[in-house]
Amino acid sequence: MSAHILPPAPPVQRPRVVVVATAFASAAAVMAFVTLLGVYLNKRASVIEAGSTWLPEGSTIPLQQPNTMLITLIMSVITMAWAVNAISKNDRVNAFLALGFTLVLGIATLVMTTYLWTLMKLDVASGAQGVLIYTITGAHTIMLVLALVFTSLMALRALGGQFNSREHDGMSAAALFWYAMVAVYALIWIIIYVTK
Amino acid sequence: MALTDTRPESGTEAPASAPAVVPSPLTIFGSGDHKAIGTVYVVAALLFGIAGWIISALASAHAISGLEFLSTNAFQTLFTLSRVGLILLVAVPFFLGLATFIVPLQVGARTVAFPRAAAAALWAWLLSSGVLIVANCIDGGIDGGRPKAVALGLLAIAGLVISLVLGTICVLTTAVTMRTPGMRLDRVPMTTWAFLVGGSIWVLTLPALFAEIMLVWVDHRYGAGDTFAADGAQWQAVSWISNQPQVYAFFIPAFGVIADAVATFTGTRLLKRTLLQTTIGAFGVLSLGVFAQTALAPDYDGQPLWIAMSVLIVIPVLLVFALIAPAFKAGKPALQSPLGLSVASLLMVLLAVVGGALLVITPLRLRDSGDLAIGHFNLVIAAALTAAAAGVMYWGPKMIGRRLADGAGKLAVPLFLGGGLLSGLAFFVLGFGNRFTALQDYSDLLLWVSILGDALISLGLFVVLAGLLSGTRQGAPEAGNDPWGTGQTLEWACASPPPTGNFGDLAIVRSPEPLLDEEA
Repeated sequence: MSAHILPPAPPVQRPRVVVVATAFASAAAVMAFVTLLGVYLNKRASVIEAGSTWLPEGSTIPLQQPNTMLITLIMSVITMAWAVNAISKNDRVNAFLALGFTLVLGIATLVMTTYLWTLMKLDVASGAQGVLIYTITGAHTIMLVLALVFTSLMALRALGGQFNSREHDGMSAAALFWYAMVAVYALIWIIIYVTK
Repeated sequence: MALTDTRPESGTEAPASAPAVVPSPLTIFGSGDHKAIGTVYVVAALLFGIAGWIISALASAHAISGLEFLSTNAFQTLFTLSRVGLILLVAVPFFLGLATFIVPLQVGARTVAFPRAAAAALWAWLLSSGVLIVANCIDGGIDGGRPKAVALGLLAIAGLVISLVLGTICVLTTAVTMRTPGMRLDRVPMTTWAFLVGGSIWVLTLPALFAEIMLVWVDHRYGAGDTFAADGAQWQAVSWISNQPQVYAFFIPAFGVIADAVATFTGTRLLKRTLLQTTIGAFGVLSLGVFAQTALAPDYDGQPLWIAMSVLIVIPVLLVFALIAPAFKAGKPALQSPLGLSVASLLMVLLAVVGGALLVITPLRLRDSGDLAIGHFNLVIAAALTAAAAGVMYWGPKMIGRRLADGAGKLAVPLFLGGGLLSGLAFFVLGFGNRFTALQDYSDLLLWVSILGDALISLGLFVVLAGLLSGTRQGAPEAGNDPWGTGQTLEWACASPPPTGNFGDLAIVRSPEPLLDEEA
């Protein structure tokens, strides 16, 4: 039995732990949505192939609200990038302003999503359509809420003076998750709202 | 470390020679220490595994003529529980537990990344496991008869997936970001590498299972229940994780355990490590089976991609054999149980991938009855658990701080090998029943053989658990830093069990076998 005593090494570096973990979590979330949307496309194709229309009679998906949400979320991508850029330059005033805008735009999207649900006149029990559309948009709403909570926590940490130009991993991680959430919405927009 | 304590990475560094302390069971409940978390996963997975193979045997027994002792509904829930349980309650958490314990030690980290999240994942997994078992006991689970219990069972599976993915992300992040200086990715120990590959595949594919479970749950709970939650459709949404190629994903970390055990017990450096890493990566890519399900592609089993993946996956397994074999020739193999279990695991997975390749040959009509697919699942999971058992016997002294009774591990080798072969190959033979009708006369006998195999695997898991617990017996010799004397990787440079913070100061790593460099 030998004891291994090794000579000393430099201090351990801990780069980008939060960013890497968030990248894995974002990839997992995106895969869940890719699966849901794959099932959606497959089911819709089989219904249309059978000669029926996809949405049940009486149900409708207006395009105005989804388009507004898309534009809102694209704006939030810009404001989030602005926040990360500002904190990486130690410009805290601009970072707080940009984070504030991002959170407001996210909440606006949340409100618009719930409003859209009331306009669709789609019952969950109407069949595969209702189950799929509510599961996908509901899951995206949960992802949006998680992104809002993540960003809010990082904003509070920034207010506490935790981030600076050399260490802003938390902010970068929140931004990464936000971008993933917006990318998923872009897929939902084209697959569910535009191509019906 | 209690969750209210200072995080290890920001706490005082522990000296390498700190006295080993076995945590008491009570302190485990508040612990974010990766050693405690990993050990709980391993012990729980062993217990679930013992029960899981008994359930699998019961499901087979029901199919024997004149022995139909279950209602159709009860049989369906028992069968589905055995499939889902052996993956989400046994194979995945078994490897996740080993990885949570060993990966931070292998990469020279003082803790796992996000210890609180890792602890939350463990307890959420245990809670979800309990809920799934209770739901199945009250006629819930997949395709069960009691609606509220079915909903409970579905939520339990969703909870299992979320907690396992969270725990996996913690370990993956540790391996990616917390390696000690000099340990490049091509120098990480093979177990860490294989878990990086396997864990990444789990993170990319298990969320697909979560998504499908959510569809079933929404339809069952709020919808008409006639599409995704209809009878039979529930199992369709889940069954793809037990079919090829996805089921291979739950074997990937086994390659790492096998490679590390072979290197240690032959006393040689593994040659062509980069090729071995690439081979494990290729096996991982070929096991990415999220596409192979009826909800996404109703005729996936006729598609060239599925056929190609099922056949090509034989190549990396053969390559692993070819890359590991020279170590036996170059070194002096020590006949310890982890080595025996590793070889048994490799043999079983080779048979499994050959069986999987046969399954895609349409003229053989092996997909008609589904028997060969059941045998294939049994063989792959048995192979994975055999490698995990090798990991327990290999790192058990590091977990407990004392040497284990290796006789238990040696007894486990024939139990796992015999059990896996009987359980898997009996169904392989049954799968040919369509072509050779005379075989149908022997179907009951073959089912009994398979049941015997299930029982042997269950017994093997019990023996391994007893072997692990043997380290706690009075008078067991202390493990020291390296109980084998031929350890090559960093986990053998710290005390057994490792103190809080794991290491003192470590040298810059200059090769994949830093301890051999030190001795040179």
